[in-house]
Amino acid sequence: MKPSNPKVARRTLLRGAGVAMTLPWLESIAVWGHETVTGNDVAASPKRFAALFMGCGINRNHWWARGSGKDMELGKSLAPLESIKHKMNFITGLFNENATGVGIHPGQTGNILSGASLKKGSELRGDISMDQVLANHFQDQTAVPSLVLGCEQPVTGYHETNFSMAYSSHISWQNATSPVPMEVYPSLAFDALFDNQGSRRNESILDRVSEDAVALSRRVSAADRAKLDEYLSSVREVEKRAASMRASHAKAATRALDHGKPIQAMKRPDDGLPEDIREHMQLMCDLVAIGFQTDKSRVATLLLNRDLSGLFYPFLNVDSTHHSASHSDTSDAYERISRYYCSQYAYLAMKLDSMQEGDSTVLDHSCLLFLSSMWSGNAHDSSKLPVLLTGGLSGELQTGRVLDYLDKDDEDRRMCSLYLSIMDRMGVSLERFGDTDQRLAGI
Amino acid sequence: MFVALRGQICRLLYSFDTERHRPGSFRMKCLLPRLNFPPTDAPMPLLRFLPSVLMLGWMILLANSSPAQSNDVLDNQFRDVVQPILREHCWQCHNAETGEGDLDLSADDDVAAVIQNFRRWTVVLDRLKTGDMPPEDAEQQLTAEQRAAVSDWIESLKNAEAERTNGDPGIVLARRLSSSEYDHTIRDLTGVDIRPAAEFPIDPANEAGFDNSGESLVMSPALLRKYLQATRTVADHMAITPTGLAFAPHPVITPTDRDKFCVNRIIEFYSQQNTSYEDFLFVLWRYRNRNTSAGYDDSLASLARQAGVSERYCQTLWELLEAPTPDMTNASGPITALRVLWRQLPEGTKVDDRVRAHFGITQMVEFIRMLRQTLVPEVPNLTAPEIHSGSQALVLWKNRQFVANRQRYAETELPSLTELLTSDFGLVKDSEAAAAMRVPDDENRDAFVEELRRFCEVFPDQFVVTERARVYLDPKQEVKLTGRFLSAGFHSQMGYFRDDAPLCNLILDESQRQQLDQIWLELDFVSAAPMRQYAGFIWFDRTDSAFMRDREFDRYRAEDKDNISEEKVRGLSNAYQAKAKLLGASKDALAAIQFYFDDMSKTFRRLETLKIESEAVQLEAVVRFAQRAYRRPLSKVDRNTILAFYQSLRHDDGLVHEDAIRDSIIRILMSPQFCYRVSLPSDRSVHVENGIAPLDAFSLASRLSYFLWSSMPDDELLSLAASGALSDPEVLRAQTLRMLHDERAEDFVINFAGNWLDFRHFDQHNGVDRNRFPTFTDELRQAMRREPIEFFRDLLQQDGSVLDFLYADHTFVNPALAKHYGVDDETIRQASSSEHPSNWFRLSDAHQYKRGGLLPMAVFLTTNSPGLRTSPVKRGNWVVQRILGEHVPPPPAAVPELPADESLLGELTLRETLARHREHPSCAGCHERIDSMGLVFEGFGPIGEMRDADLGGRDVDDTAVFPDDVAGGGLDGLRDYIRRARQDDFVDNLCRQLLAYGLGRTLQLSDELLIQQMKTQLAGNDHRFVSIFETIVSSPAFLNQCVPSQGTD
Repeated sequence: MKPSNPKVARRTLLRGAGVAMTLPWLESIAVWGHETVTGNDVAASPKRFAALFMGCGINRNHWWARGSGKDMELGKSLAPLESIKHKMNFITGLFNENATGVGIHPGQTGNILSGASLKKGSELRGDISMDQVLANHFQDQTAVPSLVLGCEQPVTGYHETNFSMAYSSHISWQNATSPVPMEVYPSLAFDALFDNQGSRRNESILDRVSEDAVALSRRVSAADRAKLDEYLSSVREVEKRAASMRASHAKAATRALDHGKPIQAMKRPDDGLPEDIREHMQLMCDLVAIGFQTDKSRVATLLLNRDLSGLFYPFLNVDSTHHSASHSDTSDAYERISRYYCSQYAYLAMKLDSMQEGDSTVLDHSCLLFLSSMWSGNAHDSSKLPVLLTGGLSGELQTGRVLDYLDKDDEDRRMCSLYLSIMDRMGVSLERFGDTDQRLAGI
Repeated sequence: MFVALRGQICRLLYSFDTERHRPGSFRMKCLLPRLNFPPTDAPMPLLRFLPSVLMLGWMILLANSSPAQSNDVLDNQFRDVVQPILREHCWQCHNAETGEGDLDLSADDDVAAVIQNFRRWTVVLDRLKTGDMPPEDAEQQLTAEQRAAVSDWIESLKNAEAERTNGDPGIVLARRLSSSEYDHTIRDLTGVDIRPAAEFPIDPANEAGFDNSGESLVMSPALLRKYLQATRTVADHMAITPTGLAFAPHPVITPTDRDKFCVNRIIEFYSQQNTSYEDFLFVLWRYRNRNTSAGYDDSLASLARQAGVSERYCQTLWELLEAPTPDMTNASGPITALRVLWRQLPEGTKVDDRVRAHFGITQMVEFIRMLRQTLVPEVPNLTAPEIHSGSQALVLWKNRQFVANRQRYAETELPSLTELLTSDFGLVKDSEAAAAMRVPDDENRDAFVEELRRFCEVFPDQFVVTERARVYLDPKQEVKLTGRFLSAGFHSQMGYFRDDAPLCNLILDESQRQQLDQIWLELDFVSAAPMRQYAGFIWFDRTDSAFMRDREFDRYRAEDKDNISEEKVRGLSNAYQAKAKLLGASKDALAAIQFYFDDMSKTFRRLETLKIESEAVQLEAVVRFAQRAYRRPLSKVDRNTILAFYQSLRHDDGLVHEDAIRDSIIRILMSPQFCYRVSLPSDRSVHVENGIAPLDAFSLASRLSYFLWSSMPDDELLSLAASGALSDPEVLRAQTLRMLHDERAEDFVINFAGNWLDFRHFDQHNGVDRNRFPTFTDELRQAMRREPIEFFRDLLQQDGSVLDFLYADHTFVNPALAKHYGVDDETIRQASSSEHPSNWFRLSDAHQYKRGGLLPMAVFLTTNSPGLRTSPVKRGNWVVQRILGEHVPPPPAAVPELPADESLLGELTLRETLARHREHPSCAGCHERIDSMGLVFEGFGPIGEMRDADLGGRDVDDTAVFPDDVAGGGLDGLRDYIRRARQDDFVDNLCRQLLAYGLGRTLQLSDELLIQQMKTQLAGNDHRFVSIFETIVSSPAFLNQCVPSQGTD
């Protein structure tokens, strides 16, 4: 997981130990990022966004929904969402124009959150992804501007379309040329969230820097000392703020304990990669959930697998790897895979829905996007994408609907229009994003 | 003694103890806050620090200056004569309450106070001399005697004080680097232009108008946080390499970014190698016809160097073509054919010969290429049952076959000679050369084949392969897959393959080979390419290929960090080979598989060892980095602190090596030793008297480099500082010249001239209505900003006269600006194509376009126009203040604004409106000095364009009556006025500005004689610009510093 902005302290690799205290949302002590509100003011819940990506498409025969609200009917692959379908929107017909007609796989993935036209050959060039636009917006308000997680290692090399395989491995891009470093180790993702490593590392540095300043100021004239004191007091001020932020978090946690409220805690995952992909995905979902609940982060992307994935699923009784299986995308086997991915998404949604926040749940203040690079893996068809949106974004997003844009003009069914609409609702209003300046009608 | 405190900054001034003052003795003290430093009272030690040559000059200067009046006398005069006049005529307006014109003349009670606040008295002197104070409508005017009495007194005081304190270095406060200095220093420290300060707020300027002094450069927690981000950015650009640290032009955290950095460096290296046979053969031909007379260095080596080709390969080819052959008559084969062609090249060096030589050489190269192409054997794919032909072991085997054939005559894989030699290979039919390529008879066959061997050895099919599509597929299908730099030719998996043996064997010299080996090793080391390639292999052989889908392979996962361990590689190797063997793989295939795993394992082990072994090397590199970042040798304590911090990060904070190195770099860049400029006191052995000591050599090096480059000293300066040579006046002079001619001097121009003339932020100037002025594009704006920089740089480079700033008949333009100035397209085309790569060219006879020198540059005319009209007031004020250095008080708050659009002025022209304004006596004082110098520019519109009518359609009138009551018009009128009345003001102002910038502080009275000296220097050197730089850097004020007296701190 990495903060989006390269100027911001990036993810760090401190090996933190043991169990971290987490901060539940409490009515009396709302602690959102840097601001601490006490007394009767109830801080508005922050809005969060997460995107979960699955490569190579879904089984289209079983990926459908009809009706609305509690009466919504779901295809077999969407069954895991049954209990929260009223908080979900099923969307079809959207597409990224720049991901069509350019060749399959990497060219359909590297721009899935940016809508950019991608460059072939060795030089990577696309554009910033929408999650990173959001992360830049929230960077000063949360400890970790964005969680960029993956369950399959990124690769490079070249695809037959002459696109770099890096495009198949990264959906979050910090700028036109660099993907955001993606964390695949749950333990390290956990550390980055709860060790506050960025700020802790800065503190180590600032400690030494103040020692430097003191040592230096002993050797200089009084006038110069006055200038160095100015520096020193700035260093101390920054240190103090970091410390007080940590203290207020700790205090809130203690008070929560005193109130006898349950704290949802998460054990630090073991070092290394989980052997079982099921465990791996679930841990990553847990991390997103706890990051959202504690407001350590408001933006996350989780690449469940790469496009052109080599994951395989003996537990689903499927012999071939993900990518190979997708070439028979209407098979039972691939339906089981599609349903399995949907269940991961449902797991995160329900987990967030179990986290009370004021009168509602964390899910109600979030927007969880599920998407894949294709509609059909066999046909490598990205003329429309499977999209799910769950969570009401603090009431700004109506849910429980089935939205079909397939009959619309291309101008009116762009993924980037959806992104503009989501960003609008999160307080980031761009004139234009990716390939459009239009908001998505009817969302 | 007086200590002034303003805000947080101790403003330290020079003063003296009037009671203890002994007339006639020059004494000076550097006064520091009373609490800390009670001054001692010893004679001025200044001269002892001056180089002897200079000292002579200074002594003459001192001797020539008029004798100073005693302070007692001055004090008495102040009380008895000056103050009564002020009280009667000035205090009415300029008192503590009203303080008109920001001036309170009742505040200073005695000589000491006047000296302390001398700036305000300079204003008094100016106004009295120009005679515009008291204002015309004052009840009582001063008599000429009164006027003279006050101004003479101020002058006397100034002279006395200037002499007494002459050469005092003043307090140059410690300060942080300015934003631009920060960026430049990072650039010179890392070798890449990262510009981490781009998001810093704009630095405020000091009283002198420059953003390079401790007076204005303050620190705040908000800025400190930006520093932290900036240093993190810099650290993200750092890669750790086997030999230390390397900085990339982009962040190198993700694998793709690391790949990009390492691959680009290798590609860059290759692209610099000339492998053109034409170029080599032409050098050989020139050598054959070399001038053997004495005095010429026409050795093969030198000719090769001139042509930029490898000397080594020239030598090889020379021997090949010139080697004596005992019997040419019977010889045949490609070498013989080449020798025939070679001998046929013309003798002589005339143009005609060269043309024919080129023609002949082209034929030789054609022959080499065509023949060599037919001698490349087909390499079939290596296959094995159920193994994907794109699997790494098989693809790499094929690559190795290509490599083996690069310099080899593959006799057995190629068709017979009879089949091969059917073409004429571009040779002239029935020529002697063609005869040499006929199929040999049995008797000559061996010799012919031997020549083919030699031919293939010297002329490889390729010197280097820089990109590769998928090698196991039909090349015809793959032609579109370009740009896969250094790729091994896999499908969907990353992997690099080095294929440059002929380049190494034939072209590169030893040090180049080592460099190339190094950057290839760094590719593996920095980007972990082999490990990632291996993970790709495991993934591919399970997904695209079905070979590894059996359960026995399940324990080998691409994601598993441990998959490169010796045990796991061996395990997979065995399982893979066993399955291959079982399925009936050939011996070759099995060997290739075995080789693949063994080779990968060996690479992993080597990298692991290297990683551990190089940790110490990188740590040492961090220490070296600190030394350069701190711009001085590290003390033992510094060194130990850096090492201890690293250790604590590793052991207490649990960071891995790379992160600990990265944080160590951040910590160094956050240290005040990097981001502050602090002049440390010289070592204890230097004698300090009266608080003045020479700067130590490293502080001097930094002072020079931040003055002339806005950046850190380079290695040359630092080593001169280390050897002590920098204090030699000749060395200092030579360094100054070198630095002014260096590219980095541009940063001086931008920072100095940009602040002095106020155009630094013009690239963000948004005051132009682009609907009304559509020609004002970003490009034009950029060009406008660049014009004074180009002009200034040229003046420096040419060491031209500073008067050219005023009177030059040339300027510098690019096509956009030239068009704006009305230069015709043909002239633009001719000029811009020839001169400067960036399209800037010198515009001579600029008067045709009413340009030349600084005054009519569009950037100034535009900055000083409020959008839809011109502003003669602002333009005039710019000339008066920035060019002539005259102090003009700010306008009173109640002045009504003129309309923003000159078409809305109504009946009156702008000129008439201003004239009406001047009728008001209290306004006249300033405006009579200002307006004329703006009105002359009325021939230029709001974006500095030439015009005949204003936006209201009225004819423009650019005449004016100057303050000396002489009328004139346009640029020439202004220049005439300056020439006759104000030239010295300009020179004086330029000297003051440059000195204030160079010293990094606001000027003080003790600088007056130095300014006089600069002016004398200019006058005696045809006003050549560089001469005053030399005066500044060799002055005591520049070379010395104030330090606390011993025992007081």
